[in-house]
Amino acid sequence: MNVAALPLLELALLLPWVGAATVAFVRNPPAAARFSLAFLILLLTAAGAIALSLGATGGIRNRTFAIDEVSAPMLPVLVLLHLLTLLGTSKARVTPALCIRILLSVFVGLAVVTCQDPWLLIAILALATLLPFWELRSLGKPFRVFALYMSAFVVFLGIGQFLVGTGNPALGFGLIILALGIRGGIVPLHGWVPRLFQNATYGSAMLFVLPLMEVAGAIRLLLPGAPAASLNAASIACLVTAIYGGGMAIVQNDVRRFYANLCLSQTSLVLYGVMTHTVNGLTAALCLWVSASLSLAALAFSIRAIEARFGRLSLDRHHGHYEQVPGLAVSFLFTGLACVGFPGTVGFLPMELLFAGSIDHGLWVSFTLAIAAMLNGIAILRAYFALFTGRRPSMSVSLPITRIERVGVVIIALIVFAGAWLPPSIVASRHRVAESLLGVTPSPGDH
Amino acid sequence: MTAAPTLLTALGLAIVAAPLFLLGSFFAAFLVDRRLSEPTTGRLVQASVVTGLLAALAAAVVMVRAGIAQHTIVLGDWTITPSYHLKLAFVLDLLSLAYVILALLLCGIIGAFSTRYLHRERGYSRFFVLFAVFLVGMVTASLSDTVETLFAGWEMVGLSSVLLIAFFQERPSPPRNGLRVWIVYRLCDVSLLLAAILMHEVNGGGDFDHLVGQSAWPAHDPLPVSPHFTLLGVLFVIAAAGKSALVPFSGWLPRAMEGPTPSSAVFYGALSVHLGAFLLLRISPVLDSSVWLSAFVVVIGLITSAFAYVAGRVQTDIKSALAFASLTQVGLIIAEIGLGFRYLALLHLLGHACLRTLQFLRAPSLLHDHHQLENAIGSRPRDEAVLWEQRLPLPVQRSLYRLALERGYLDSMLDRYFARPFVAFFRALDRQEERLADAIDGSRTVPVESRDVHPSRP
Repeated sequence: MNVAALPLLELALLLPWVGAATVAFVRNPPAAARFSLAFLILLLTAAGAIALSLGATGGIRNRTFAIDEVSAPMLPVLVLLHLLTLLGTSKARVTPALCIRILLSVFVGLAVVTCQDPWLLIAILALATLLPFWELRSLGKPFRVFALYMSAFVVFLGIGQFLVGTGNPALGFGLIILALGIRGGIVPLHGWVPRLFQNATYGSAMLFVLPLMEVAGAIRLLLPGAPAASLNAASIACLVTAIYGGGMAIVQNDVRRFYANLCLSQTSLVLYGVMTHTVNGLTAALCLWVSASLSLAALAFSIRAIEARFGRLSLDRHHGHYEQVPGLAVSFLFTGLACVGFPGTVGFLPMELLFAGSIDHGLWVSFTLAIAAMLNGIAILRAYFALFTGRRPSMSVSLPITRIERVGVVIIALIVFAGAWLPPSIVASRHRVAESLLGVTPSPGDH
Repeated sequence: MTAAPTLLTALGLAIVAAPLFLLGSFFAAFLVDRRLSEPTTGRLVQASVVTGLLAALAAAVVMVRAGIAQHTIVLGDWTITPSYHLKLAFVLDLLSLAYVILALLLCGIIGAFSTRYLHRERGYSRFFVLFAVFLVGMVTASLSDTVETLFAGWEMVGLSSVLLIAFFQERPSPPRNGLRVWIVYRLCDVSLLLAAILMHEVNGGGDFDHLVGQSAWPAHDPLPVSPHFTLLGVLFVIAAAGKSALVPFSGWLPRAMEGPTPSSAVFYGALSVHLGAFLLLRISPVLDSSVWLSAFVVVIGLITSAFAYVAGRVQTDIKSALAFASLTQVGLIIAEIGLGFRYLALLHLLGHACLRTLQFLRAPSLLHDHHQLENAIGSRPRDEAVLWEQRLPLPVQRSLYRLALERGYLDSMLDRYFARPFVAFFRALDRQEERLADAIDGSRTVPVESRDVHPSRP
């Protein structure tokens, strides 16, 4: 069968809607979870087929949506991220509304990375902000911080794009960068990120933050036209965020704020790579986009499983949970280390590429990146020691890892360790994409 | 003779694959949720270490017989452009083979010792998993031919060391000390990372042979003298100082003694603490490129040696005393490297690692023997040796004693000038952030401990 002949892109964009519509008629939460899982697995298959068939088809193009070398590898990653979120939600807390939000969120992710029309992209990014807002409202949690930042994001993005189209590109691109900075939680525009993790459910918060839609936005809306000075300023802000997030993650006493700050630090590195507007930086960013999303989602999986058992945990004392959930402890450790680019994990090669590419901008940039990696590494181990070492609490009930959690841990382990051996051809393809995005002619010695 | 390089490649891969097989076995058991029994774990450890050791010895024999001084094995090459590439490569030469044989030999001994020493210990499996990570890291670092490969091994050694320091995790101090050691390691790893980046800038790649030429260790091609080389050398020295607990990073060494005796023996007595010296031996041509750099290395080595001697005099537990004794010798080895005595330093390193492993392993039973001796003679054995410190004026003696007891005030300085200001600064920022968000939201954030421990939603 010729895979290329199938309408895979349409299928991938339609499946989440069909899934959401189906789940909307299901009142039983376990059944809703099963339906959602089935749709996500189908979607993962379609996304995988799209990614694998890219070489054969040379891309799939619709009028407004397209599969190209930027979007193709991200499709399975985004679906996997949502799949892990669903698997990581404990059975008692799955609701049909949550399943619908997950399915709509996966549509948003797929639509954003495949969308070619700037205005439609902006519209989808704006609509995506409604999902967490909907949840915050329904939970009765404070939402003003989130609403304020996201309103600013949408307004700046819209005005910026309008100005770019009407002959004032310098100001327009500046506003777009500002908007993407807000969406990406770049310091000092980051206040909504820790707040969202504190107030919303973990799943919703991570689905809003981890796909790094601001990176897709930056690639589609900024490159290659944005002025170098604006991008340089943004890249410095990203570096500051990487350090700031790492430092803040170390001193947090709340697991969720720790995670939020770790996300800020790691995701800012991806945005930094894009903002460098160099081929090497962008290559690293495209690789890091995949590894950071997956490893942070995997880390969240462990944290959510721990929270489901023991409630919200603080990091200012040792809880001693290792003996109760050794599998989750191990998973927490290796996913955390993968986030910071530890050798042998999915994050290592992208981080090395980022470091190697950073020398183009001076040794101080490399130094800053290395400090950020150091701080994040310290934060991870501090959290690990706080959660899993210490005197074992006496509990009357056994809380071993469940079967579904074990499936999640196995998937995560495979992603984290198998992903470490990223074939050179994939890195080379990311390099080609970076060259084409920046409009650079490949030099004869390349690849 | 044309078969020799192929054979060497196969043997080199076997050396690397053996510990990877061990780690992979533990990982597979974790994935399928099976707990390996103690005898199975012991057999797996012995099989992998012996396989690796035999392969390393065979590689040494083949190299001597075929007259090959250096053999490179490339496992992965992520070449993007000629000036932008990462390589996973190993080298077989005198230095790497000597160190990897030492590592496998001592790990084999420690593995055999630990299967009995930790029998029925709750963390038996955890110990051997970390042992496997350490072994993979040590083999990778020893055989590394590129700075990226070295960094990978270096980090694995660091992580496994720290988690073994926190091995007795129900007590509060081991995790706390583990975290402190991790902070020092990470701080110095920044230096290694920067050195790696600078190597790419200087060489267009992370390969050591680009840096020092094609000649086998310790010979090397003449290096161009440039400011970059001195900076590169300084970065490598800082990285080595962190891993080998040289001054001013010596504060972590006694903290590392919290771990079980076998891990203390193999990490802080024998292998991990010498890894810094190994790194300096590997990049010794860079040291040769600058007299000032070599002098810097000699001074650091001698200061460390003197400090460790003084601090070691006042230790009251045998493991800390041995750790400082070890550091005294490591300081001397570093000084020898700075002075250009490469073979002497290598021999000193190998001999010292073996001796110290023996002493660490003997330590628990020696204490037992000592108690028996005291019981037999009815009093403590008299120490009649006259110490040179007693010839010093009393105020100097007291100052020296205080300095030794406080371990050179290195930890307190780290706390006072770095850790506390850092934490205070970021906590202040955190409070400001919370206040601003509270003001906008019109609600106050409740500290996590005061919250309902079982919220309605995760």
